[in-house]
Amino acid sequence: MKKILLKILGIAAFIYGLLFAVFYFDLDGKFLYYIFEPAMIKHFDNMKREDNTTMPYEMKENVSRE
Amino acid sequence: MKIKEMGGKLRARAGAMRDKLSEKPDVRKMARDFWYGKPHEERRLGDLYIGDTGLYKHREWRGVVDTMYYFNMIWLYNYIHMVTDVMKYGGGPVMGPVNLVKGLMRYRWMGQPYLTVMHWFDRGLEGMRGPILRGSAWHYRGMTSETIRQFMEMFASDKKLNGGKESEQWKHNIAHNETVSGSIFYGFHDVLEDIPLEMIPYFVTCHVNNHTVLNYIDAAQSIGLPSDPCPMCQAEYGLFVLDDYPDYAPTMITSNEACDGSVATSVLQDWFLNRPLYAMPQPMRYDDPLVQEHCQREIEGAWKFIEEQYGVKFDWDMYCKYAEEQNKLTAFEHEKWDVAANTPYYPINGVAQALYRIYYSQDGNRPIWHEIDAHVRKIMNNTVKNKIVTLPKTRHRAIAWSCAPLYYSNWCTWAYNCWGINCVINMDSLMFDQYLRTDTYEHALEDLAWYNEKAPMRAMAVGGHEHILSLWSYMERFNCDMVIMYDQLQCKGMQGIHGVFEDEFRKRDIHAIWVPHALPDKRTVSRKEIRKIISDYMITVMREEPLDPTLVDFEDDSSW
Repeated sequence: MKKILLKILGIAAFIYGLLFAVFYFDLDGKFLYYIFEPAMIKHFDNMKREDNTTMPYEMKENVSRE
Repeated sequence: MKIKEMGGKLRARAGAMRDKLSEKPDVRKMARDFWYGKPHEERRLGDLYIGDTGLYKHREWRGVVDTMYYFNMIWLYNYIHMVTDVMKYGGGPVMGPVNLVKGLMRYRWMGQPYLTVMHWFDRGLEGMRGPILRGSAWHYRGMTSETIRQFMEMFASDKKLNGGKESEQWKHNIAHNETVSGSIFYGFHDVLEDIPLEMIPYFVTCHVNNHTVLNYIDAAQSIGLPSDPCPMCQAEYGLFVLDDYPDYAPTMITSNEACDGSVATSVLQDWFLNRPLYAMPQPMRYDDPLVQEHCQREIEGAWKFIEEQYGVKFDWDMYCKYAEEQNKLTAFEHEKWDVAANTPYYPINGVAQALYRIYYSQDGNRPIWHEIDAHVRKIMNNTVKNKIVTLPKTRHRAIAWSCAPLYYSNWCTWAYNCWGINCVINMDSLMFDQYLRTDTYEHALEDLAWYNEKAPMRAMAVGGHEHILSLWSYMERFNCDMVIMYDQLQCKGMQGIHGVFEDEFRKRDIHAIWVPHALPDKRTVSRKEIRKIISDYMITVMREEPLDPTLVDFEDDSSW
């Protein structure tokens, strides 16, 4: 039981240390800046979009005037 | 000759290194710096940046207590709560993440900027220590949570993400301009959900990651719309040109957002949305007693529109309940102003003050604001009780006036770290300064009209010269000795009064630094140029030395 507890504590400490390294060396920022954001930009630049300017512009019924 | 020169340089560098190595390390000082963090003048924060990316070689070491607070209670806490917020507001532990990924892949304004949110915290909280680090971080936490609530509710009911299906939630949502205050909808608050359309896709993105908005500004101009109106309006209709707006509500309520450019935004939104839309313009010169009744009728018109479209009735008791809740937020804001104005113990820095205030007063009453205020109240009570000076290197108490550069809202953090300029208060914080009475319907409507007339940009910037010139009394009230005067280059209203301010500053012998910018568009005046203008003034006019010389000149053009 003690061994398991120590093991769990050890794993938790390791994860905590790992997260601190990610935080301290700004690894989250570096991942987002160099990998994630460029991939997303590429994705959005290649996305097919509807041409909203083809929407007809017409008068609508006046819905709120007394 | 060149080889000789190079050899000389190398020898000099080797000599300097030898000297450095031969110096005995001051172990006590190193231990002190490790435990408490370096003194302000020795921090060299500019050395932490990687090129012009704004990324850090490593995050700042603030001493053991503050670094661990930042790691545990800001970085880790916020990452964990972002996940729980996504689940809470997005339809549970399964549908929340599913809807998030759908939105992330569909909308540029979601996929590009929002995951970088912790860098937004970093930029705003650089160099902060102790209570001001904590108080300001709670403000950022509130804005982050409310942002997640809004985009998750959009995604959960978005027709574009749900195969064109008009869900029950879609049928109960109201879309509105970001400058139509949430307070308008208090009478329907428990039965309908009001979600501002541009707040999250446009406004907040500029602060978190200023790259995204440029796509929308360019898109607006690509269909032949003029490039000289306010770029805020351009970005707002650019969202529609690029088909990047979420379709989460059957109706829309718009406003004139205090300028003619925004009237055009409403017209274009009417075209692109092609659904029932109620335009609720608010008067610009709101002091005129003749416009009060008109403004009140406009608000009642919006209520009637909602009743007709959704088949629900305006609930007076519900209105009173939420208006009174909002008054509690206003009361606490006044307490904060009192501490900021009259003591050096205010635990909120300039950027957190400005963004949090504009966000919650525009957004309206939500539980998260009360939760945040409770945390901040505790911190503020402690700083006042124990007389903790929160920004001890303050040389100047500044007031920032007119509309701020959205892409560089954290300039005040830099200005304090570099020059000791403490931006105590800003113009947008002082708007919406209005309690909402609930004793009678007439009083309620009167105050609500006033509240909306005192909205962003309208309250001072274009509300008439007597309002924009209230700067002098606010300077006195907040004990400021310096003005950071924003100069929004594409705001025709503010450009019109530029000369009057120049004259008044000279006449009153006030140190004022003009900061030109183009609201969300960093390409017109870069952040580096803004810093240079402030630094030039501090060197040539004030004849002061920087507190941290590494922050005087650095590149950050490619940063978020």
